[in-house]
Amino acid sequence: MSPEKTPILKVSKLVKRFGGFHALDGLSFHVVPGEILGLVGPNGSGKTTAINVISGLYAPDGGEVVFDGASSGGVASHKLVHRGINRTFQVPKPFLSLTVRENIQVALAYGGAAGAPSIAELLEEYRLKEVADRPAADLNSAQQKMLDLTRALATRPRLLLLDELAAGLNPAELDWIAGRIKALAATGMAIIVVEHLMGFIEQITDRVIVLNAGKEIFEGTLATAVREPQVIEVFLGGEHAH
Amino acid sequence: MLNASKHLLFILAPLVVVFALLPGVYQNHLLLFNFVIFLILAQGVNIIYGFTGYLPFGYVGFFGAGAYGFAIMVMHLQTPAPLAVLVGGLVAIALGLLLTPLLRLSGAYFAIANLAASLAVLHFVANPALEGITKGPYGVSLTGTFNPTHAYYAAVVVMALTVGAVIYLKNSPFGLALQAVREDAVSASMAGVNIIKMRVIAWLASALVAGLAGGIYAWYVSVFYPDNVFSGEFSIFAIVFALFGGVATITGPIVGVLILYGIYNLIGFTTPQYFQLIYGLLIMGLVLFLPAGLVSLATRRGWHVP
Amino acid sequence: MTYALVAGVLFGLYFSLVGIGLNLVFGVMRIVNLAHGDILMLGAFIALGVVGIAGIDPLFAVPLAFVVFVLAGVLLYWVLVPRLQGSANPEMLSIILFFGLSQVIEAVTTIFAGTSERSIQSRLLGTVFTTIKVKWFGGKAAGAGPIQIFGQGFPAPWVIAAITSLIAIGLVYLYLYHTRLGTLTRAVMSRRDEALATGIDVDRVSAAAFGIGLGIAAVAGVFAPFMFGSVTPAFGADATVTSFAIVVLGSLGNPLGTALGGVVYGLCYMLVQTYLSSWADLLPYVLLIVILLLRPSGLLGRRVRVA
Repeated sequence: MSPEKTPILKVSKLVKRFGGFHALDGLSFHVVPGEILGLVGPNGSGKTTAINVISGLYAPDGGEVVFDGASSGGVASHKLVHRGINRTFQVPKPFLSLTVRENIQVALAYGGAAGAPSIAELLEEYRLKEVADRPAADLNSAQQKMLDLTRALATRPRLLLLDELAAGLNPAELDWIAGRIKALAATGMAIIVVEHLMGFIEQITDRVIVLNAGKEIFEGTLATAVREPQVIEVFLGGEHAH
Repeated sequence: MLNASKHLLFILAPLVVVFALLPGVYQNHLLLFNFVIFLILAQGVNIIYGFTGYLPFGYVGFFGAGAYGFAIMVMHLQTPAPLAVLVGGLVAIALGLLLTPLLRLSGAYFAIANLAASLAVLHFVANPALEGITKGPYGVSLTGTFNPTHAYYAAVVVMALTVGAVIYLKNSPFGLALQAVREDAVSASMAGVNIIKMRVIAWLASALVAGLAGGIYAWYVSVFYPDNVFSGEFSIFAIVFALFGGVATITGPIVGVLILYGIYNLIGFTTPQYFQLIYGLLIMGLVLFLPAGLVSLATRRGWHVP
Repeated sequence: MTYALVAGVLFGLYFSLVGIGLNLVFGVMRIVNLAHGDILMLGAFIALGVVGIAGIDPLFAVPLAFVVFVLAGVLLYWVLVPRLQGSANPEMLSIILFFGLSQVIEAVTTIFAGTSERSIQSRLLGTVFTTIKVKWFGGKAAGAGPIQIFGQGFPAPWVIAAITSLIAIGLVYLYLYHTRLGTLTRAVMSRRDEALATGIDVDRVSAAAFGIGLGIAAVAGVFAPFMFGSVTPAFGADATVTSFAIVVLGSLGNPLGTALGGVVYGLCYMLVQTYLSSWADLLPYVLLIVILLLRPSGLLGRRVRVA
């Protein structure tokens, strides 16, 4: 990570409420090009909500999201895709009745930017070549995750949000996907990773933000975070100690 | 695109040629006309249900709006028939625009709201208070424009355009994107697709073809009542034909119309309740045993069906 | 004005009865029963049959219709639903399936009851009406006039239907809140997937709810000839849309909310009839669309949420 770079994404004092529940309660952070930032925290701490707001699925109730120098809070998803934000989903939702190839074609045709990888490259790199002409419904869940990722990459994002991409992958696949994510970051792509698997987070992130109840409680490397009493309290106190 | 020209050559061209020539050798022109109308409506349902996933239980609303658009132009402004047909299409588009908020609803909510909308339009048009404009429940008589031959060929032209539109959807990124929106709107928007725009375009396109069909129908029959052109049977038949053949394909709705409407006419028109019974059972059997339509019999064997 | 309001409440209670079965089925199964109105229509024909064949008070049709349709509902559930839920798109297919069923019911009724019966009905209903009054008010055939409420006379069947509706809603409440099966039913309504996971026999609960839903619809149908003047086999489709409007007006998935929806609907219905009668036909459709559009959040979040 190089601190002198200008952040590509700046989130300040972000608030998102669902009814009376504050899913995000004044969250602020930034990420710079080429950086892999981890968002960690117990269930319900606001990680996925943050990603949903940044990717335009929810409009924020307060605070600001600035992407590439322009305000992006509350902007429709497809416009953010065109500006250079994309994401994967915790539960991938590919276009089930379309073939794998057609799934990627849609993203290339409607979200593709200059310099986007070709279908052949994506199929090859994310191990989908053999199933390219099968309906997405035939894929197993790991393959659906890869298809979701290729759908995002086809739009050549400059900011990529990965929501639990690693969950459900076996150790060999984890190592492989960690390598791919680092390679993407090396091209200058900023990547935010939401993940429960701490080993995986440690392997790929430069920096983590620990969230609790929609607020940041720690920022730094994961190695420092696990020695922080407040962080330990949140994780051991919650049900999800990993 | 290569596939598209194949589809134009081997599906659309024969269909148009056959229906253009049939009146010369087959005497029951009304039957041929009805076939063409149902081909248009089934493909219209295909556009909005097959490609977009909205089940239009009130599809006939557009058809009736088109018929009354035609009638009002002819009655009050003495418009020439072809122009009045276009106005019928525009009226349907206007109704479609008015109803775009319904697209916010999904699944059953959309289907029922659409049904309610078509019934609302029927009751509106048939209201005695509007007798000066629509002739209310007393029906319209348009003998001045009566010309079944021209109306028939106009229907063939609209059918050609409609099938052409479906061929385009089947072979273009636009059609793929529509199906993507149908499968998962959130993922589609993250593929860069403007889902609202896509849905509205498909909705208005299917409204337009039904409106044109309605206008041509009014031209052909020239005397009709609100209950005729807003009859729920148009919606039902169009949906069943499309589903029976298989939606999101080019040939499915065509096969569905040719087979089912063929059978319908073989049995005869005399006792509607028996048809209703057969159709009801057919719909139920279809859902329970062949939910993806006739074409799925072929696709299950790994054959590609355009 | 008082007349319209009281009549609105009477009709409203009855409308609650019309809608509650649809809502119960929807709440438990997440299926919109498009044949709901046709079950009402069949209930009406049971009433006509009871009067026409046995020549007795149509109120006897109430228990008969209920029992017959609870059994029919349970049977229908086991025949149709498991196959449906194995398919790729159960929600959409269920709409089409029940639509097919509604066509079958309407057709079969037309075949048996015929079109000639339709024209007899209105005259027949007049005699039925008198019969009830005679039965209920101690044989004063000539004197059984309208029932007085706030100094205005209302047809006795309206009042009887409203009372029956109140009783039926009370029984639904007792079922949902004071029986074991009812408690399980509420569990399935709030979280179907979790109910499955905790080992509740969801199929049994759903079959019971489906049966009861159809049974209540048939009971509502018994009164339809009196409330709407006459009934034809084609009555079903309109009744489905009306029921859906009532249910949406209350709260989808909450059967008791339907009671409120029914009363609001009944008041609107009577006020429009009184002051804007030529546009009254439009009411259920426009109301349904407006409510669906304005209160989508009440619709269980089925909407696709995209900013």
